[in-house]
Amino acid sequence: MRDTLSRRAIAAALAASIALPAMMAPAFAQDFKGKTLVVGVWGGDIERLLRQNVVGPLEAETGAKVELVLGGTGDRLARIYAEKANPTMDIAFLNIYEAPQALKDGVVEAPDPKSPLYTEIWDGMNNGCYAMSLVGLGIAYNKKLVSSPPEWADMWKPEYKGKIAVASYPGSEGDGLLGVAARLSGKDEHDADAAFAKVSELKPIALTYTNLDEAFAMMDAGEVAMAPMISGYVLAALKQHPDIGFSFPKNPGPVLVRDMLCLVKNSPNPELAKKFAELALGVKNQTDYAEQLYFGPTNKNVKLPESVSADVIDTPEEVSSLLQLDWPYVITQRSDWTQRWNKDVLGQ
Amino acid sequence: MKRLSPGRALQLLWTALAYLFLLAPILVLILASFDPSKFFRFPPRSLSLVWYEGALASGEYRSALTASAIIALLAGIISITTGSLAAFALVRFDFPGKRLIEAVLLAPLVLPLIVWAIALLQIYAVLGMSGTLLGLVLAHAVITVPYTVRIMVSTFERIDPSLEAAASSLGAPPLAVARRIVLPLAIPGLVTSAAFSLLISFNDVIVSSLIAGARWITFPVRLFSQLRSEGVDPITLAIGATIIAVILLAAIIGEYTLKWSRHL
Amino acid sequence: MRSSTPLLFLLPAVALSAVVFLAPFAWLIYASFKTQGAGSLLMADGLTVKNYARLVADSYFAAAFVRTIGLSALTTLLTLVVGLPVARLIATGSGRAKGLLLALMLVPLVCGALLPSLGMIHLLGPLGVVNGTLKLLGLTTSSIKFLGTTGGVVLGLVQAFLPLMVLPLVNTLSRLPRDVEHAASSLGASPLRVWRRVILPLAMPGIVAGAVLVFSAAFTAFVTPQVLGQGKIATFGTVAYQQAALVLDWPFASTLAVVVLVAIGLALILSAQFDRLLRRRRLAA
Repeated sequence: MRDTLSRRAIAAALAASIALPAMMAPAFAQDFKGKTLVVGVWGGDIERLLRQNVVGPLEAETGAKVELVLGGTGDRLARIYAEKANPTMDIAFLNIYEAPQALKDGVVEAPDPKSPLYTEIWDGMNNGCYAMSLVGLGIAYNKKLVSSPPEWADMWKPEYKGKIAVASYPGSEGDGLLGVAARLSGKDEHDADAAFAKVSELKPIALTYTNLDEAFAMMDAGEVAMAPMISGYVLAALKQHPDIGFSFPKNPGPVLVRDMLCLVKNSPNPELAKKFAELALGVKNQTDYAEQLYFGPTNKNVKLPESVSADVIDTPEEVSSLLQLDWPYVITQRSDWTQRWNKDVLGQ
Repeated sequence: MKRLSPGRALQLLWTALAYLFLLAPILVLILASFDPSKFFRFPPRSLSLVWYEGALASGEYRSALTASAIIALLAGIISITTGSLAAFALVRFDFPGKRLIEAVLLAPLVLPLIVWAIALLQIYAVLGMSGTLLGLVLAHAVITVPYTVRIMVSTFERIDPSLEAAASSLGAPPLAVARRIVLPLAIPGLVTSAAFSLLISFNDVIVSSLIAGARWITFPVRLFSQLRSEGVDPITLAIGATIIAVILLAAIIGEYTLKWSRHL
Repeated sequence: MRSSTPLLFLLPAVALSAVVFLAPFAWLIYASFKTQGAGSLLMADGLTVKNYARLVADSYFAAAFVRTIGLSALTTLLTLVVGLPVARLIATGSGRAKGLLLALMLVPLVCGALLPSLGMIHLLGPLGVVNGTLKLLGLTTSSIKFLGTTGGVVLGLVQAFLPLMVLPLVNTLSRLPRDVEHAASSLGASPLRVWRRVILPLAMPGIVAGAVLVFSAAFTAFVTPQVLGQGKIATFGTVAYQQAALVLDWPFASTLAVVVLVAIGLALILSAQFDRLLRRRRLAA
């Protein structure tokens, strides 16, 4: 009996010690000094550009502190779902396949159609959250093994058997590959049987990579011929790998993938979060994204020089030539597909 | 000089190979941290300290290491105070339910932590504790308590209770007995417990990667997320190699001065 | 001292374990009977056995379960085979050499699962030390795959958990007289016979203790199979993690967790029974 009592008392004390700071916070603050904005985002080059174009200016302007929590989208998504009642994160960068679901489950704010943030972005891009950058799933290939920029169907040619690498699943690369495979069989992603049957023909998979450098090292060593990869990073990294090329296939076209900027619902610092979003989606940052990382801008006002524009998805026309998956449907299949991927593609 | 029998020679060779295997990943990690290319290849084409320089310059890793250290320190304090008190009671007193209590205290050693962390994440979310320092410290304290309990039980078992009885019979109050007799004799065990708690907490990834909050991303959590997303930043190899070197040193010093292994 | 003293001493640690460690397990059992709403990642109202039905209906999980048991048993066996001679050598050793060997044995115990796994990647990877050496020696031209295979995962588990077998063995074997082999062989017994008839039986309590530790550690391991298996070797730990942290299906992850718990509970009860049996036999003998 005593045991139960003490357990309850401790739980209550714990809860109180957490709730206290929240109650003491001022309801409204003009000055953001002492505030900390928490942003969940990928590490590496994206982090570098955000620090330079967004974090620095925002901290200087508002006096607030900005913390970037680096990691994959899975980490962030788990966190904002777990903390639904009590968020600690203000902004989460998610993938296109996660954002609509997060909106539906009420963990992120719906994009506001009246805000300048919304209207400056190409029409029809803000699914779930604000569209941040446009990239396409194409094929990275080893120029020594593959003579000309490959089409999707080339990955299934017998001479490349056992030399195809794929990214770890769940992820947009895998979903994109399933969508493409289904179309090569005359179906689409709604026919999972067709998609998985086709992808399974790629077995044995040479490498399941979690890391671009690892995949490139294997290509340089001649052990991987092709790997479906998302443009952007890859194009930027190719400068160091003269023997690796990147192809945007035509039949079907590259799969459109978007990075989304999500404002977490009921976040501690909504005003600061908006300011962060304005800078992140602004012309300066998106231009740098395009020029340095080959991430296509979503902001209508970004004007890119010809040389950059060629490698980057930056117009609505280009977008319409890309393959668009039914992402809201795909996410509902995530659990089943993960298991099928483990079973059918990785062969467990 | 005794001649080496073939059996003995075989045993020595076997042991040498076993140790090579045991330490190989650690040695390779250290070697890889000196390869200046972004992805380690053996044999390395050149060696350099570039990642170590990067480690010193990086604010992100400094804050992750600081977070790890703060959490480990706080969890370690909770672990050695609660754990050694409990160990003392387990060794010196007889009471009903002793076996059960011992089992509860040692449970984190055998129960699956990954599974527990999944549940803890959900409970913390309900309590509004997810991502807080308190939540992390309590979780880390729980996984280190079993080590303290085991180490301190074996420490107290070695301390002759008749010493305490003698002091008490000479009229020393219990607190003085504890301070003057028990504490000095228990110091090696306490230091060993502290070292184990600190190291286990500092290096934990399973629990922290699920419940670590925005503000308290520890170094292993950061490393684990790199492994699953953008890839391992070679700077983390340099930091990892340094951590391993410190652990090697600590283990050798601890074994020679405090006989760490005897307590486990 | 008063009779309430032990209670006072125990309270902080027990309260901590009960609230922070054991309470979540109760939650797991509850969550395992929940499910997610259609097209949502949030838990729906009401209780259901759907998750358990899915677990039973899908052979994937049964296969993962059997694979995990197999991996753990193999790991236990290998740590025993590798560790027994090592433990005997340490136990009969003395001085600085013994201290150094013990100190090095402690290292994998405290450096966490991640750093050694990271080292293993560079040791066994396609461009790592082993493959690099083989290619240098001209023994192979294309990399041999260790990562993403059962063999790679077992190597990682054995490396990580060898100390859990060796340390209890050293403890037990240290109680044997140092020159057992010598005495026995001077009586004409072959070394193999000495091991089988004398050392092994006397080492039994240490073997059981080590086996329980290694088996449960391997059974619940998650980082090592995840990193070295590259997502290709599904164990219960990695499947539970995938469901919880990547798929965000917490109710189903909880169901997996409950099954692991029941399995571990059974294993502990069995090993306790075995231990009791051993003791009774020894008393009888």
